[in-house]
Amino acid sequence: MIDRLLEISQNRYFRLFLVALVVLSLQTTLFNDMRPFGVCLQVMLLLAASAGLARGSETGAIAGFMVGLMYDMVLTTPLGVGAAVFAAVGYLAGYAHSFVHEPNWWSRMLLAAGASAAGMILMPVALTVVGSEGVLTVDVIGIAFVVAAFNAVFSLPVERVCRWALSEPKVTR
Amino acid sequence: MAGSTFTRRRAILLLTLTTVMLVTMDLRGSGTVNGIRSLFGTVFRPVESVTRVVVRPVENAWNGIVNYGDVLEENQRLKDLVAYGEGAKIGAIASVREAQELLALNGLPTLAGINSCSAQVVGESPSNYAQTVEINRGSECGIKVGMPVLNAAGLIGKVTDVFNGRAVVMLVTDPSYSLAVKVVNTPPTTTVVPGAPGVTVETTTTTTTTTTTIPRTTTTGIPGFVPGGTVAPVPTTNPSAVTSPNATVQQPTGTGDINKPGQANQSEITVPAGADLPLRETGALEGRGISKTPVVRFIENQPRFGEVNLGSPVVTAGGASSLAPPDIVVGTVSRVIKRAGSLGPLLEVKISANLDALNFVRVMLYQPTTEKVGAP
Repeated sequence: MIDRLLEISQNRYFRLFLVALVVLSLQTTLFNDMRPFGVCLQVMLLLAASAGLARGSETGAIAGFMVGLMYDMVLTTPLGVGAAVFAAVGYLAGYAHSFVHEPNWWSRMLLAAGASAAGMILMPVALTVVGSEGVLTVDVIGIAFVVAAFNAVFSLPVERVCRWALSEPKVTR
Repeated sequence: MAGSTFTRRRAILLLTLTTVMLVTMDLRGSGTVNGIRSLFGTVFRPVESVTRVVVRPVENAWNGIVNYGDVLEENQRLKDLVAYGEGAKIGAIASVREAQELLALNGLPTLAGINSCSAQVVGESPSNYAQTVEINRGSECGIKVGMPVLNAAGLIGKVTDVFNGRAVVMLVTDPSYSLAVKVVNTPPTTTVVPGAPGVTVETTTTTTTTTTTIPRTTTTGIPGFVPGGTVAPVPTTNPSAVTSPNATVQQPTGTGDINKPGQANQSEITVPAGADLPLRETGALEGRGISKTPVVRFIENQPRFGEVNLGSPVVTAGGASSLAPPDIVVGTVSRVIKRAGSLGPLLEVKISANLDALNFVRVMLYQPTTEKVGAP
């Protein structure tokens, strides 16, 4: 039983789940109150994008889906919409990163910002597709800009956390 | 490489299918999805509570830096409001009590007869697209989905999700929000000024009577709207005007009939014109999302109703199928958008409650007759 629990705890997605739980609590408390320019900053989106930057498009998509699903649990939007958007963001970040010849700190920040902005535009589009009204407005552009700027600033430390969380366990002989 | 592509495609396909399945289940109101949400909430709430305690100093510092000037201004404004409201308070309480007694006497439903559950707002939606708040009371208090939520100023929204110990309230500004409302069009008051000079007649009357009107007081801050209050003129006798027999007094003359309000042209009394009681017209209040005021649609373009005045109160309409009881204050008309043809005007509504600073709220444990168990 304990061996089984240890095995689960070593799973990289379980580690990401724990990290996402903490980030989600920051999202619903600290970043819910701190609203620069009236915009709610999206650290969960940053986590999804950073997962893609850290471990590639496929892992980014799965991690993004997981993070988005957790975010959906505390929102009133239909379950699965955030998961789909965040999966796309994780995939997009990883896919775009694979085209960078020699990635450095600023290229990562730029990609995180781009993926975040894409996510903030995709989200109201997805909500409109599932029947929500009044979410796809010109305000989205401003929101995407502010979120992208913030996520660019914090992308490097969050990417490091994702790199640690999504690392494969070392094989011991 | 081919194997890698296959795995990637398979992963994307699985994620897509899972998303479609989840969205479908949630939109169809699946109990499983609610159960999963509730289970996740049980795991997540303790973590959130710990984080809330840890980050509170940071939040306070942020609010101190960003909102200090606003708080000072608001404090000054609130002091003025308190000073203004103190005088009106006593009269307002008496008026409301009288109105409730009158409604009870006539067997009409009042808001006072509906049970309610007080709650505190503990969080708002961490999203830029949904206008919801979370309150710290839930099913244990008798709260059910659809119940109206208000604060001291008026309606703020309705309950959309209920759990044990918490509930989610959709604000009236949310694009998904809709409710039947009444617009109370305040009629213009007619002031009658003496016209032609009076004619002196002989009479044996020994007293004269003057009429005064009681100043109106409101509890809502909405000009012209007195909840349940009908103010009648009170005749008072002026002792100094007592004259001796065969005294000469001025009697009204002219074309108007003094027994018909608004037609006497010799009196200095200010009265509403004959049929100028506040007119009501029903419509549908709809939220329009962030940074936009809600609108009222489907107001009929009736000549009798006339043009809607700015500042006219908007209250809930009630009815057998409405989720809110009648006469809850919603706000005032802030803008009238005229439309061609028979569409009727579109009214922008300034919500009475300040939705940016919600704290204590009241959930009215009200269900329309069509929603009650056993209803046909």
